[in-house]
Amino acid sequence: MTASPSHLDLLEAESIHIFREAAAQFRKPVLMYSIGKDSTVLLHLARKAFFPAKLPFPLLHIDTKWKFRDMIAFRDKTARDFGLDLIVHSNEDGIKQGINPLVYAPSIYTDVMKTQALKQALDKYGFDAAFGGARRDEEASRAKERVFSFRAAGHRWDPRKQRPEMWRLLNGRLGTGETVRVFPMSNWTEKDVWRYILREKLDVVPLYIAAERPTIERNGQLLMQDDARMQPKDGEKIVMRKIRFRTLGCYPLTAAVESDADDLAGVVAETINAQTSERVGRLIDHDQSGAMEKKKQEGYF
Amino acid sequence: MTAQAALKTSTAPATATAAAIATDPLRDLNGIVHMLTCGSVDDGKSTLIGRLLWDASDLYEDQRENVRKSGRKAADSDLPDFSMLLDGLVAEREQGITIDIAWKYFDTETRRFVLIDSPGHEQYTRNMASGASHADVAILLVDARAGVKKQTKRHAAILDLVGVKRVVLAVNKMDLVGYSEDVFRKIDADFKTLCWKFGFWEATAIPVSAVYGDNVSTKSQAMPWYTGANLLEHLEKVPSRGSASGGTFRFPVQTVLRDGQDFRGLAGTITSGSVAVGDTVSDALSGRSANVVRIATMSGDLPSAQSGQAVALQLDVDIDVSRGAVLAKPEMRPVAAQTLEGRFVWLSEQPFDARTGYLLRTVTDLVPISTLEIKALLDLETMSSHPATKCGVNDIAVARIALGRPAAIDVFADIAETGTLMIVDAVTGASIAGGVATAVNAKADVLGDGHFILTREMLANGLCRDLSLSANDREEFMRRANEAAILLRAAGVSVAIEPPPMVDDGMDPGL
Repeated sequence: MTASPSHLDLLEAESIHIFREAAAQFRKPVLMYSIGKDSTVLLHLARKAFFPAKLPFPLLHIDTKWKFRDMIAFRDKTARDFGLDLIVHSNEDGIKQGINPLVYAPSIYTDVMKTQALKQALDKYGFDAAFGGARRDEEASRAKERVFSFRAAGHRWDPRKQRPEMWRLLNGRLGTGETVRVFPMSNWTEKDVWRYILREKLDVVPLYIAAERPTIERNGQLLMQDDARMQPKDGEKIVMRKIRFRTLGCYPLTAAVESDADDLAGVVAETINAQTSERVGRLIDHDQSGAMEKKKQEGYF
Repeated sequence: MTAQAALKTSTAPATATAAAIATDPLRDLNGIVHMLTCGSVDDGKSTLIGRLLWDASDLYEDQRENVRKSGRKAADSDLPDFSMLLDGLVAEREQGITIDIAWKYFDTETRRFVLIDSPGHEQYTRNMASGASHADVAILLVDARAGVKKQTKRHAAILDLVGVKRVVLAVNKMDLVGYSEDVFRKIDADFKTLCWKFGFWEATAIPVSAVYGDNVSTKSQAMPWYTGANLLEHLEKVPSRGSASGGTFRFPVQTVLRDGQDFRGLAGTITSGSVAVGDTVSDALSGRSANVVRIATMSGDLPSAQSGQAVALQLDVDIDVSRGAVLAKPEMRPVAAQTLEGRFVWLSEQPFDARTGYLLRTVTDLVPISTLEIKALLDLETMSSHPATKCGVNDIAVARIALGRPAAIDVFADIAETGTLMIVDAVTGASIAGGVATAVNAKADVLGDGHFILTREMLANGLCRDLSLSANDREEFMRRANEAAILLRAAGVSVAIEPPPMVDDGMDPGL
């Protein structure tokens, strides 16, 4: 062994280390699986951390019922192929109240169908730690996030109560009522996620790759009509365009980009030369200023 | 952002730098360098880092455009205000909301850089120390008009304490001293004198002007007398984390992995040195040895592995090790420490209190502390120590610790990672103090009259007699033992808890 490790080797080893620390220190962890590219890498790293043993924790998917159909198919295939223990949870109260992203403001929809749903699931199963794929490079308020991010009772994030982290020591001792979010990919960038997907030859949801899809242009963003629940408004029409997605979420809230990248290598090349950073495609974060910081304090990832 | 811009993905890089960086998007970067910047806003820290990002990194085009369009100018110049690139990190700090460490990532043509930004003022010593503990190299920033200040000395002392081995002194604002060689030489000499006291492997001073870009990523035309590397060249040559394969082998066991009957793998990250199939390794605590028969990873078995790699080791005989153990070569084991001395940065707002129950977290172990005694406080500007028995937030304390049971610990100066420590509040779980071992001793304290051992038998017959041996009950047993010890300590009794029998469930060892 003479070649020094590349930056991806180092990031991978660090993530594996974090997974193992958390699995050893917490009683009942769960992996937050949101099906996108970050979750794909997160899951792959988790499998590496415990190979050849099985994953010592289940996966949890918060299903808002508005995810792209391709995402749900991919989720179920992944769970089957790797023999994973998958828990799917939806906020039934929210569904009964008819909370949906077409009518309600993104902030209300996200709070009810994602944040509240996540809290319900964590409480229902008594998870004391939840792995997430968040990265510090995503957003300014995440730039100071810890690897072990502590939540007081009620899942509230108090920036002043976060624990200093030094060297590779990870202190997971919980106080009364505390739970923790664990971010093994804290030090990855968006580019690393793509490079790693290519290097490790990982399957991703086909929506990341450009194809002709039915689209509606709304508020300057391209949305995909994934099913009949979303219909063109006055003056809008459905147009077939060659598009792909940089991030995946609920389809009425996820903007597409026009692209000719019809294989992964093409996507990566486009991404790395990208003109706009990742956050542009996510409508939620535009809804109010300081949105992410606020959502975190409320218990969102 | 206009609608059109949002819809279009451009492939045309806007600057020559961006073009060069975009040539091979899949290039494997030559490792990662974690870089801490120390200095105050007045020294031009944000401008220097902003300039480095502007000149040499893979910024997104919208970030560049924001800077150009803002119309904000760097002080006394016609150039864009590069410090804007750090705005996300700086804004909250200026408003006094959060005083914290922020992380920023960028790639140059060959390297991944991780920028760790932490406040430098005295009241934030703890933040700087925790930021510095992650750094491979630190940039100390001074104003050429002021030179090396008290604050620079304090910063150097903190860097040394947490084990940063490479420092760069960026002598900024050279344009304001007429690019004078004499001014730089004087500051360089002061810096060398200062560094003499510390354990740095490399200390380099570079004259720069962050606003004009002199010696940031290009050679300065205004300072022909300076023939050394510019800041970027220097940083690209700093050895990356994980590239040092030398050193004494250490493998702290994180957890045990099982696959059916035949595989029992010890999972962990090699923190120092290397190991190969066929090597004999031994457990630091028990002294028992075995041979490595397999180094497993999901990408395939390896013939050998080195510092920084996360692997699972399979041994030829079961020597009954689990989480908390440190594997080493038989003749070079860490000390099974019963007592130790260390230097600690007090991180908590809660001052030291002898009645509080504390635990010691080592690299993968968590051990009850039977006594914690503050011996002295360190003055960072003079590096002299003053006897003390109290300490509070931002203090650097010399402390002596007696452990409730032995733990594998190295002296930090010899083998860094297995010498790192964190004092944890047993009740709240809070991280109280981070530190490094300066002396470790395998001999226990001679027990004084008040020293009391809470045996498992004692607990099983009384407080815990309703509990079974199931995993949940074992945990409850430990919790009660810990609570009992905390009450006794509060009553002034020095107490140790008898270690639990080896139960290997991959979890943290019991307390």
